Amino acid sequence: MRAISRREFVKSLVALGATTLGVGGLLAQAACGPGPGKEGELVRKPSSGPAADQAYLAAARGGSPAEITRRAVAALGGIERFVHSGDDVIIKPNICVAYHTYQYAATTNPEVVATLVSLCLGAGAKKVRVMDYPFGGSADAAYERSGIAQAVTAAGGQMEQMAKMKYQKVPIPDGRDLKEWPVYQDVLEADVFINVPIAKDHDLARLSLGMKNLLGVVLDRSKYHRNLGQRLADLTSLVYPTLTVVDAVRILVDHGPTGGSLEDVKQMDTVIASHDPVAADSYAATLFGLAGADITYVKAAAQMGLGEMDLSSLKIEEVQA
Amino acid sequence: MTAQRWVRVRQIVQYLFLALFLYLFILTVKDRWSPLPVDLFYRLDLLGAISASLAGRTIPTKLLWALITLAATLILGRVWCGWVCPLGTLLDLFRFRRAAFHSRHSWRQVKYFLLFVVLISALFANLTLLILDPITVLTRTLATVVMPALNYAFITVEFWLYGFGPLQAPLVWLDTALRSTILPVEQSFYQLNVLFALLFVGIVSLNLLAERFWCRYLCPLGALLGLLSKVSWLRRVVGPGCNQCRRCGGDCTMGTIEPERGFASDPGECIVCLACLGTCPQEGVTFKGQLGLAEWRSYDPSRRQLLASLATSVGGLALLRTSPIARHEHPYAVRPPGARENDLLAKCIRCGKCMKVCPTSGLQPSLSESGLEGLWTPVLVSRLGYCDYSCNACGQVCPSEAIPPLTLEEKRQTVIGLAYIDQNRCIPWADNVDCIVCEEMCPVPDKAVKLDKVEVLNAQGEWVVVKRPRVLRDLCIGCGICEYACPLNGEAAIRVYVPNEFDYGELA
Repeated sequence: MRAISRREFVKSLVALGATTLGVGGLLAQAACGPGPGKEGELVRKPSSGPAADQAYLAAARGGSPAEITRRAVAALGGIERFVHSGDDVIIKPNICVAYHTYQYAATTNPEVVATLVSLCLGAGAKKVRVMDYPFGGSADAAYERSGIAQAVTAAGGQMEQMAKMKYQKVPIPDGRDLKEWPVYQDVLEADVFINVPIAKDHDLARLSLGMKNLLGVVLDRSKYHRNLGQRLADLTSLVYPTLTVVDAVRILVDHGPTGGSLEDVKQMDTVIASHDPVAADSYAATLFGLAGADITYVKAAAQMGLGEMDLSSLKIEEVQA
Repeated sequence: MTAQRWVRVRQIVQYLFLALFLYLFILTVKDRWSPLPVDLFYRLDLLGAISASLAGRTIPTKLLWALITLAATLILGRVWCGWVCPLGTLLDLFRFRRAAFHSRHSWRQVKYFLLFVVLISALFANLTLLILDPITVLTRTLATVVMPALNYAFITVEFWLYGFGPLQAPLVWLDTALRSTILPVEQSFYQLNVLFALLFVGIVSLNLLAERFWCRYLCPLGALLGLLSKVSWLRRVVGPGCNQCRRCGGDCTMGTIEPERGFASDPGECIVCLACLGTCPQEGVTFKGQLGLAEWRSYDPSRRQLLASLATSVGGLALLRTSPIARHEHPYAVRPPGARENDLLAKCIRCGKCMKVCPTSGLQPSLSESGLEGLWTPVLVSRLGYCDYSCNACGQVCPSEAIPPLTLEEKRQTVIGLAYIDQNRCIPWADNVDCIVCEEMCPVPDKAVKLDKVEVLNAQGEWVVVKRPRVLRDLCIGCGICEYACPLNGEAAIRVYVPNEFDYGELA
């Protein structure tokens, strides 16, 4: 190879620099126009409340995870109430660690997740992505270990590894404690965001339910734990899920959120669904013999007007499969 | 085949081996399938194999592959150095025009001295100087210097470009593609990385003095293969065609062709690069089969040198083993799972594979933790990365079984350290505010970190209930995820120390 002279080298360096700056500038200009999701605004329309013949909250019991998931969603008026043709859907299960299979109830039941994927695709969703950011082990390993990767792929959904660069610092306009935080951009921009937590024990929050599961869409999580209750409510106000489906097929009653012993797992064969994340969590707490008011984040979210904590006035449909 | 073509073939083979080395390096990832053993070059590394067998008093089966290198060397000479060694290939790539240094044959004995110190120390169960094995040099540099820096540069550019809307989709695609194949999921941080970078730059810079300075004068593996090549079958022979044009002497990478000796070369120094074959205009050079011992040169090992290396090894080891670290373990010398009980110091060939494969980059090259004798052996630095409860990869890739190949179940039961809480800094202890992150993170099914509800007077003079963490020593396995995730800045308020010998179960 011919050696290049210093002059040639400097010349090409200048040319490269100019091109980069020029192209970069043009692109920057193009990007400055109003685009979807700028400044982390929620593009998603909040889901409307139930029609007269639809339940506010549904709890289905007794059948296979797939069946009770379907029955619970059907009682709310079917998935079509939330998902429309061409929608971009993100489903957020709890896949917190890569340690155990789903029978240990640290991660969401794969059948529940896969059923939701099928339902969304059936309603004409353009694509359905499933994701979480585990704190123990890599996402790849956790997706596979939980069984969710296999189930979702078979149902036609895509597992997405949450890319660090998609966490953008965004303002939280209604936040009472937090005014801004890095949040996964796609979750804000998706047409439909379905939160699918597993109901389990958690020492600080008392229980890890729907709103606690939203922690997977933010960064700097160990710093998030101060004043966790209010902060989770703040986060809910920003990423407000279209639909919350609580997996209580098996619940983890102790040593959460990681679990690891089948003795701590209680079979409940229950799936809870609602458009209201506060009501869903409040109802799920009753499975542990608690009430919504015992959970700091449920209380904080109710105080912010994000949903109903008091279940007594709601139209709740309990379905026995 | 013409001589020029042979030279070309050798270069292609070199690049293929370098590519293979890099490919296997990149494949050294937890649960990743590989068509060849990812530690192939270590299996073939004769110096590593012999010293690990001497020091560990057993021959690790994986290292039997090194017999291939032994056979190849006895037949063909130092072909490992000229055709296979990835560090040698890199040094060939950094060929500086003005090598001002005139071949100093006497310096060649340095590598033999190092070789004997390595082998004699190995007899005394010490492998410290394997840090000079070329494969370990390269793996260590790639794992702790090149990959983290590359990833950092990539992320920085990526984040900057992500600000330009239209680039987002292709960037995400690229990120997903690279993240699951070449780049690590999380940015890694290695202690001593600057030192390793300087060392590597130093080795390359020595090429300014002489081509392949490292291979000529320093490399202990090259020395071992050089000694064997003294009896190798294939030899370079200068024929009657030679008209003393001196071209081959100038082209010899190893500087072993000496005009004053009739352009003969030393098979112990020749790496069969065939440059002389390609450059000779007279067909005066050939490579032929011969039997017998090659001429012993002044720089070749002597009885005196052997005695000097014996004294160095014995004296050095006596010093190392009477330094304070030999009396009491360093409190943070937390070893990879199973390695503590497995005589790590006598088995670890310092190859750095475990540090590459560790998905959290918690395994770090030690400096102070194990003293000079354990220099750059792996220690778990939990603040930088925890031992993943779902991972047993280090034991799977370790070529010398210094880290035993535990099953995931066995590994989960293996105590590598014990966590202690610093009550002066821990948030619930020192500030009477709930935190619980360590308890939440603890992967042990029954949770080795327990929370006690206690009523305390806080700084405002109010009685409040806080949950204070406490470690159950008989449950803790020392994985360090608590230390890793502790939300305090700087040093964590919960730290993993080396395990103790007594049974906590009986105390409880």
